[in-house]
Amino acid sequence: MSSLEDTLVLLLAGGVGSRLNILVKPRAKPAVPFAGLYRIIDFSLSNVMNSGMRQVGVLTQYKPLSLMRHLGTGEAWDFSGRSRGVKILPPSTGFRDSDWYRGTADAIRHNLNFIKAHPSREVLVLSGDHIYRMDLHAMVEHHRRNNADITIAMMIVPESQIHQFGTGIINTEGRIVEWEEKPKVPRTNLASMGIYVFNTEYLINLLAENKDEVDFGMHLVPKAIARDNVFAYPFEGYWRDVGTIQAYWEANMDLLDDEPEISPEAWGIRPNLESEQQLADRIPARFTAGSKVSRSMISAGCVIEGEVENSVLSPGVKVGPGCRIRDSIILHDCVIEEGATVDLAIMDKRVTVGKGAAIGTGENREIPNRKYPDHLYTGISLIGKEAEIPAGTVVGRNCIINPWSKQDAFTEKVLKDGDTI
Amino acid sequence: MKLKPGTLAMILAGGRVDDLGVLTFHRPKSAVPFGGFARVIDFPLSNLMNSGLNRVAILSQYRSYSLINHIGIGAAWDMIGRYRGISILPPYLGYGHSQWYRGSSDAVYQNLDFIQYINPEQLLILSGDHVYHMDYRGLINYHREKDADLTMVCLKVPMNEAHRFGLADIDDEDGERGGRVVRYREKPEKPEYNWASMTVFCFKPKVLYQVLEANIRDDASYEFGHDIIPRMMNENRRVYGYKFKGYWGYSRTIEEYWQTNMDLLGPDPKIRFADWKIRTNLEHRGISDCQPLKIGKHAAISDSLIYNGCIVEGQVERSILFPGARVEKGARVKDSVLFFNNVVGKGALVDKVISDVNNTFGREVRVGEGDISGPKHATVIGWNNFIKAGTIIGSGCTVYPSLPSEKIPKQVESGEVVR
Repeated sequence: MSSLEDTLVLLLAGGVGSRLNILVKPRAKPAVPFAGLYRIIDFSLSNVMNSGMRQVGVLTQYKPLSLMRHLGTGEAWDFSGRSRGVKILPPSTGFRDSDWYRGTADAIRHNLNFIKAHPSREVLVLSGDHIYRMDLHAMVEHHRRNNADITIAMMIVPESQIHQFGTGIINTEGRIVEWEEKPKVPRTNLASMGIYVFNTEYLINLLAENKDEVDFGMHLVPKAIARDNVFAYPFEGYWRDVGTIQAYWEANMDLLDDEPEISPEAWGIRPNLESEQQLADRIPARFTAGSKVSRSMISAGCVIEGEVENSVLSPGVKVGPGCRIRDSIILHDCVIEEGATVDLAIMDKRVTVGKGAAIGTGENREIPNRKYPDHLYTGISLIGKEAEIPAGTVVGRNCIINPWSKQDAFTEKVLKDGDTI
Repeated sequence: MKLKPGTLAMILAGGRVDDLGVLTFHRPKSAVPFGGFARVIDFPLSNLMNSGLNRVAILSQYRSYSLINHIGIGAAWDMIGRYRGISILPPYLGYGHSQWYRGSSDAVYQNLDFIQYINPEQLLILSGDHVYHMDYRGLINYHREKDADLTMVCLKVPMNEAHRFGLADIDDEDGERGGRVVRYREKPEKPEYNWASMTVFCFKPKVLYQVLEANIRDDASYEFGHDIIPRMMNENRRVYGYKFKGYWGYSRTIEEYWQTNMDLLGPDPKIRFADWKIRTNLEHRGISDCQPLKIGKHAAISDSLIYNGCIVEGQVERSILFPGARVEKGARVKDSVLFFNNVVGKGALVDKVISDVNNTFGREVRVGEGDISGPKHATVIGWNNFIKAGTIIGSGCTVYPSLPSEKIPKQVESGEVVR
């Protein structure tokens, strides 16, 4: 047997991801749907599954319901069986501190009991927020070879983005010798991916010695570097933090390339189709005689009667005759009625677009959303979950229609660029 | 509320009967793929689930990894629990028992201990071979109302096709709902009435036990249609017919199977597939590992059903594609059904073809083309074949499963069989 079974996984899935705007109103960021069938957390969970680890704790905090339903018994990722398991670890009231998780390290500290109850050689801490494929087994081996106390997965990022990350400077052995969290003036392009391997004993002591420190990147890693063996594990390949609307849209569009850098099926990423709790299975996507679809991803259960181009459709989307969908991401069971157009939009689940409505009109893509100018500024419009857009409505660029907006919320026929309902 | 089920359903899934040629060389008909993601047996299983009948046994002696794999633990149809379950019942060796199932009723007879252990109030016996949508509760209610010994579901078929079926003459006792079966003939040469039995039977167990015992004692053939029903008619048992008016996909020939598939398509499909609430085992063949269908820039798709896990870069018309089908640039698939993991190479044409799993059509291969006068017949390709680039195969051909690719000639004339 591989000694790999000695690695316990803790997956941080508490992030709010507020820049994803309407997509995180009904759910936490890891539960945001992606690539038609998946949710963001499926990438991390599948990486863990494919790396052969068997015990996983998922730390939740913000709107955990859809996440919990999605995880179910963990069977979708092979985490069921006597020696396998996935457990949800929400914040809880303790004897002394009854706190919410205040940071990554704090969240782990709250779950020391879980760590102690699952004896392990290492603890692997990762986040459920990112789109990537990684062999975590190889990372653990790397950690062991180096006799490291902590190993941090790191990758090279463009200089323009480095200020968002924890950064490290390494020596020729791969040891991290300096650390700077979110530097204003970067001295390196090597960024932390928020994936850590800790020796279990070491982690327990580290958390005990620094009782007031709540964040790994900000507090504990710099301390450890000065004192202990902290190594970098180099990662190359596709990795995206789809934490902004623009990044989320771009990563979905990356799927459509002829030779895509991202390919969930080839990566061994598993969705959990059963967590949809459908009475029946989705039947294959149906294309009628008049349909016209190019450069798109279409999920089972869709019915396409109109035109779809450059778009990603989740299961059960209905595109009526005469419709045109372009450059858009449309989530489960949206209904686009006859003659409606959708151009450059992200549409959450079960939205209805009435006959002849037009979402994403005009060429003024540079007028940002007035309420959230730093969320929407490239022309993408957002339609929230279960919104009902009346027939004939015209929606401009960078608009937001909030979840559950009903027909009567639309007082005007026209929603100007940058408007919000 | 009552947990313990009153009804036990037994699905006859053993029959191979050479019906569908190469498609049933290695699997029973009930495990033949249908509808772009499912198997034929998913239809009765989903009907049972939707009828709230959760105690099911499957009678099969046909060596079938694909059936066993497909059923799994029955979780796909919610059939796990204290009184819910699917049991696969193969023939067995035991004291005084060492026989294959000698017929459909013998299969039930050999499992009397199982049935008596469950001790149901009524026993539902279904074929696993047909594509239809039915709520069995209507049948069971009628059966109980009539205090029948047997209630059989019947469908009116055209008189000129009636000779292929077991036929009932149903009286007017309950009009549109059904009535007493006054005469019954199994596949008569000259039919006089045309209510065909769909192989959906509801029995009063106590009576069935007696009839089965007598059948085993006195007869040399052990089939429900051929032996059990005529015996019950002779004994003047209470046999009723329950009239069904929906779609029934009955395929004994490749042509009929092809047609049943095509009934899923068109502007107003005969099979309202989404309304049928079909479930399948998404773990079987890794269906749930598939990403959404990917459509290339120059693709054209019309009047088709395509499941997740496919890649379409060419043209697809009036066709059904199961997961893992890839249609490369310039390729054209029309009027065809491609099972799991088919590859249609660049510039290839696949026209009115049923292609079993794991087949590859090389570049510029042409199947189903050629000068055809009269109706065009479907070509069937057995599984695990690699058809080399440039090969031409006519219509109405059969290619046996798993042939070494050099055994498939460069040109196969219409109607030929390659084995």
